[in-house]
Amino acid sequence: MAMNRRAFLQSAGLLLSPFASTRALAALSAPRTIGKAEHCIFIWLGGGMSQIDTFDPKALGDNKSVSKKPGSFYRAIDTSVRGVQLCEHLEQTARWMEHVTICRTVQHKVIDEHAFATNLVHTGRMVSGNVTYPSIGSLVAHERGAADPAVPAYMLIGYPNVSRGPGFLGAKDGFIYLVDTETGPAGFTRPDAVSEERIARRARLLAPLQAPLTNAPGTADYANAQQEALRLSGPEFMRHFRLDEEPAHVRQSYGGEFGQRCLTARRLVQAGVRFVEVSHNLNFLNGSGWDIHNEGIRNQHLLIRELDLAFSGLIADLKRTGFLEKTLVVIGTEFGRPADFDGKGGRGHQGSVFSMVLAGGGLRHRGAYGVTDELSKKALESPVSIPDFHATILAALGVDPRKDLMDGSRPVPITDQGTPIAALF
Amino acid sequence: MNALPPSRLLFPAPLFALALLACNPTFAAQTDSAPDDPAGNDVPVQSRKPPGPKLDEPKISSIPALPPNQFPEKHVTVELCDPGTGTKNLWPPTSPVPMESFQIPAFGLFELPHLYTDTGVRADRPNPLLVRAYARISIPAGRHRFLLRGRGASCLFLDGTPILTTPFPPPGSDNRPVTAQNDFLDLGPDFRFVPPGNRESWVELDCTGGQHEFILETLIGRREGKDGALARRPELGETVAAISLEGSFGWSLIAPENRQIPYTDSGWATYRAQLESDLERLNTAHRARAREESASYWKRRREQARVWLHETPEEPVPNAPGATEIDRFLAAKLASARAQRSSTASVDFHARIQPLLDAKCRDCHQGGKAKGGLRIDRRDSVLKGGKSGDPAIVPGNPNASALLARITSTDPDEKMPPKGDGFTEAETALIRTWIQEGAPWPEFPDVPLEPTPQTTDLQFLRKVFIDTVGVPPSLEEIAVFQNDPAPDKRARLIDRLLADPRAADAWMGYWQDVLAENPNILNPTLNNTGPFRWWIHESLVDRKPADLMVTELLRMKGSERFGGPAGFGVASQNDVPMAAKGTVVAAAFLGVEMKCARCHDAPAHASKQEHLFQLAALLANKPLTVPKTSSVPMDRLHTGSRKPLIEVTLQPGATVPPAWPFAEFVPESVGNALAQDPADQRDRLAALVTAPQNQRFAQVLVNRVWARLMGRGIVEPVSDWEKGVPTHPELLRWLARELVRNEYRLDAVRRLILNSQAYQRQALPSLKTPNPLYSAPAPRRMEAEQVVDSLFAASRKPFKTEEASLDIDSIRTLDQSISLGQPRRAWMLTSTSNERDRPSLALPRIQAVADVLSAFGWRGSRQDPVSVRESAANPLQPAILANGIMGTWLTTLSDDHGVTQLALRNLPLPDLVDAVYLQILTRQPTPEEKAAAVALLTPGFDARICPEKPAPRPTEPRRPTYYVSWSNHLDPDATVVRQKEEKAARRGDPPTERLDAEWRLRMEDLVWSLLNAPEFVFLP
Repeated sequence: MAMNRRAFLQSAGLLLSPFASTRALAALSAPRTIGKAEHCIFIWLGGGMSQIDTFDPKALGDNKSVSKKPGSFYRAIDTSVRGVQLCEHLEQTARWMEHVTICRTVQHKVIDEHAFATNLVHTGRMVSGNVTYPSIGSLVAHERGAADPAVPAYMLIGYPNVSRGPGFLGAKDGFIYLVDTETGPAGFTRPDAVSEERIARRARLLAPLQAPLTNAPGTADYANAQQEALRLSGPEFMRHFRLDEEPAHVRQSYGGEFGQRCLTARRLVQAGVRFVEVSHNLNFLNGSGWDIHNEGIRNQHLLIRELDLAFSGLIADLKRTGFLEKTLVVIGTEFGRPADFDGKGGRGHQGSVFSMVLAGGGLRHRGAYGVTDELSKKALESPVSIPDFHATILAALGVDPRKDLMDGSRPVPITDQGTPIAALF
Repeated sequence: MNALPPSRLLFPAPLFALALLACNPTFAAQTDSAPDDPAGNDVPVQSRKPPGPKLDEPKISSIPALPPNQFPEKHVTVELCDPGTGTKNLWPPTSPVPMESFQIPAFGLFELPHLYTDTGVRADRPNPLLVRAYARISIPAGRHRFLLRGRGASCLFLDGTPILTTPFPPPGSDNRPVTAQNDFLDLGPDFRFVPPGNRESWVELDCTGGQHEFILETLIGRREGKDGALARRPELGETVAAISLEGSFGWSLIAPENRQIPYTDSGWATYRAQLESDLERLNTAHRARAREESASYWKRRREQARVWLHETPEEPVPNAPGATEIDRFLAAKLASARAQRSSTASVDFHARIQPLLDAKCRDCHQGGKAKGGLRIDRRDSVLKGGKSGDPAIVPGNPNASALLARITSTDPDEKMPPKGDGFTEAETALIRTWIQEGAPWPEFPDVPLEPTPQTTDLQFLRKVFIDTVGVPPSLEEIAVFQNDPAPDKRARLIDRLLADPRAADAWMGYWQDVLAENPNILNPTLNNTGPFRWWIHESLVDRKPADLMVTELLRMKGSERFGGPAGFGVASQNDVPMAAKGTVVAAAFLGVEMKCARCHDAPAHASKQEHLFQLAALLANKPLTVPKTSSVPMDRLHTGSRKPLIEVTLQPGATVPPAWPFAEFVPESVGNALAQDPADQRDRLAALVTAPQNQRFAQVLVNRVWARLMGRGIVEPVSDWEKGVPTHPELLRWLARELVRNEYRLDAVRRLILNSQAYQRQALPSLKTPNPLYSAPAPRRMEAEQVVDSLFAASRKPFKTEEASLDIDSIRTLDQSISLGQPRRAWMLTSTSNERDRPSLALPRIQAVADVLSAFGWRGSRQDPVSVRESAANPLQPAILANGIMGTWLTTLSDDHGVTQLALRNLPLPDLVDAVYLQILTRQPTPEEKAAAVALLTPGFDARICPEKPAPRPTEPRRPTYYVSWSNHLDPDATVVRQKEEKAARRGDPPTERLDAEWRLRMEDLVWSLLNAPEFVFLP
């Protein structure tokens, strides 16, 4: 059985042509807005990152006075790209801005509810009663498959939900997930209590029960998938989650649990995983995570610093390992926050303009793209829609953002008429 | 937890007893409102209020005036009243008149019987609702303690005087400190701690012996907050009045007739289980009564159906061999397929050519709207050609065949398919050879014509159990069947199973998918519906006729948020909810696929957007206007010289009146004649869909049942008949007439199918795809819910998860959060909805089961309807069983594991091995398997049972378990609590100490191998 030739979640009956990915590339006619990135690490800041306190700093505001002067909560600092500033808690990131482009003019209108906006930013679509749209991770997995068939195409470090799912593309383009770096991927991490000796005994007991079904066409797909599952829960795949294989200084350079997730993502990318989503919302740092209503803003700087350390650590490490040019790093969030403060000094939601970040991946980076007004309330030039942002990610990964996918018999455009940001190619 | 202070033990509590007059209490009431602070401050209650002479809250302004002769002495009467207080946190000034009443055994309430409306669908009562329970109860003289608990504000009256109250519920919150839970009431060694979201108070009173009148009143639901009135879920939580008699540490529910109902954890569980089944009986009776009230209309409908049957010709059953009518229909077709089979071609059309045509051409070139007038799904059409006039295929002459020219063309205006991946060179070559060989096109693929043998009794048992009740048989059920000497025991078993209450569970997932039931336990925004799963379930429990069930669905009456069909009518964040529902209804009951028509005319279907909006207007009961967001701008359609695939003939802004778009099935006039209220568009639509004259409805339903039990529909796809041709049109018509004849009871059709030899044949392992001739079934993989429920049933491990809710203490409004209750079967789960990625909002046990379900094709979130789930194999499926958390639960021999129970029986080892195989795989082990298992388990077998040890003394003082809910999830401690829950879920229950550990591990590994055996997930 040539199991190692099989794409991760595709059983024998479903094997796509091995040339599927090259065909996707060959079909592209406009070389100018197409990139060569091989991988994507998609960092998700759940709750709605306040752009005015991070990547789009403005004049200082004041959340304490009665009048509550709108503005940034932190000072701005210069960065390695002239004219591009960040807030003071992104000090490490500031050194790497020549490899980064902040899209400061991302916008949409869905700001009432987190799950709804999360769905929009992940799928690039409004919900519809007709079709469950795939997430960006599943789209990339579908188009590019895994870089190495021995590993999954799409992995998630975070909680499973429909916004991250494969939608109409089906389970083969879904994610394998882990909720944190301690527990390992669900389904492939053997329970702690089961010793090596027992694993061997179980395999011995199972083998005669597998054999007849492996040989019968009606059941062979499942029986073979089981062989593949046993392989994946073995050391060859599971070692990618063993962060203790990394030198101590590398581990430290990423910081805490979120950083360790980013480090795991880098290891997975190296192993051939195409798309890794890494969630950052360890809400015990400041209570509400990035959703900084009311008192949530008080310790927002702890979150930002953790992001700063992990993000800059990831870029440095990707650069060191030669993966930065072929790995697109994205920071996504469901919406931004207004310059004004709420009753208790925190911030509400804002969709009229907010920041998402692109780094590495062979793009022509420029520190920042798009200009917002003096309080980051609206775009002054170069607005970026969610479909445009999706198109940019897809194009960077060599996928034609205008192609059609098929939901059964219905053609569904891969983005909702999105256009890549040409300046980055 | 970083630093939770040690729990404050309140037992033995100083009993702040005041010297009280005999049952003339001047109040020593202690309102223990922690952890919820009635004042709405965030500061937890640090110390108990000293007993005082007055009640602060709630202000009781009325004492129910009940004449003494009304107090029951054998039970507790419960009355439900509209308090008429509107939104204020006030007790009604005068005692309101009850609208409904029922009886319960004691002062313990957690759920009300449902209110049913119309033909028996769940409805909402007034919110807030006043619940009053009362009885005359005899108690001995003495100084007793009394306890009152409730979710709503509540008051306990003794002989007309309020003795205890609990406050109105607290305001909403999300960051209440978890440490507030350190303040709790503990009034005895086995005192039941207050569950989340209830307030409580207690008092010690001197009572004279003899009869006393008790009244418990509680106001549940809506509360007044700072922001105005907030509609909360009208839940009782645990509304209880309990007593601890002088000299006793124990507590009992206050109950008439000296009934002893201990108010402890286990006593409450027993009481609750009993009352739950009583309530279910009551609910069933209420629904039956409601249906009875509308019986005259449905009697008329039955009569009309009989007339229609009488006036239309019967479908003759072929004169072919077969045990049942179905078998005779199938045998006739098999004979004709046998006659056709003779071909010398090297390329097998069904195996190699048809899949290519299906994948690349069929979507556009078939059905009523075939592009270019060319249908690629029929040989005659292909030979004739489309509008161009050139034959698509000229047998024996590839170069003259237009099809080959088009698929090899490089001209973007010519090439086929116009979009997506084209044909590879190898594929083109194959088609060329096939045409060269004369393009042979037999009706049926090369499937075995020789029928497989009938299933053995054990195979039949496993298959029919899973197909009817969703789980394999227990050892007892196997024994009963095997010992039954009756020759018709299979038929009788089928009857028993169809009447089994579990049969309703078995079809839940199917209808949830087909009808896109999509409730969300948190903020419904992702095209969510109400939880109308409860209506589906009750309809199946009641074995409702399908025409009545569909009529109820289309009327969309009853409760929207608590399980009525009104919940079907909701589509959150959808610009035209009724258009979305129209696509669901058309596909589910008419086999018409209208998804495309949502925004434009369907490119490959006959449906136009206007048709869908006519249907939507019927559902909306009014004309509908097409919004811009439901249309495709024209400039998007013309991107090249080629004619666009889609057309928009209905302009945004157009208004579409209600109209029946399917005259081809039944003329619109039938609706007016048949509808209960022809002026009501929904009623008219229901009549048109379910009319006996509309044969499509009955045919679509029987085809759905057939497909699910036989692995393949007579028409495929089951939801899109425009694309399919029936393989057995006569059988389809006959089955549909049987459905009408049996008053639309789908059970009758199920019974016909299950009793057929075709159903009872053994699966043929060499078959990869379902066999359209039904001579031999292909192995059929269990559906996701069947996998999960069967694994629990086979290991006899209780199904234990969290309550399906993120608001277990009920502080959110009913439009924000609902509870889907305590799941007992897989279908009751839902998405854990942690889009926020907050560890404190995780539901680890539900997630562990949902992971298995999702791997096997279940969807926690059903934004769109699905009739046939994806069933392809992938490594995550066996992986999640082998290594997942749920797998750990089922393969650890805990005290409550079925195999532990078996191993503790006094069985010889070979019999034990047999029993384990039977229980898990419903079969005997082969001699080799048995020898291997016996060898594995022989060492230490005789000494496997360990003596029972006394329960270890608790090392830590007793306290309630910390809980996390929306109300406190932003407190960092909440994350710590959840992470502990996650760890506990991962670990599962501890292994039993009754079995020697070393021997137990070997048995666990055997159990693991059987639960993970690939055969487990396939029907025999």
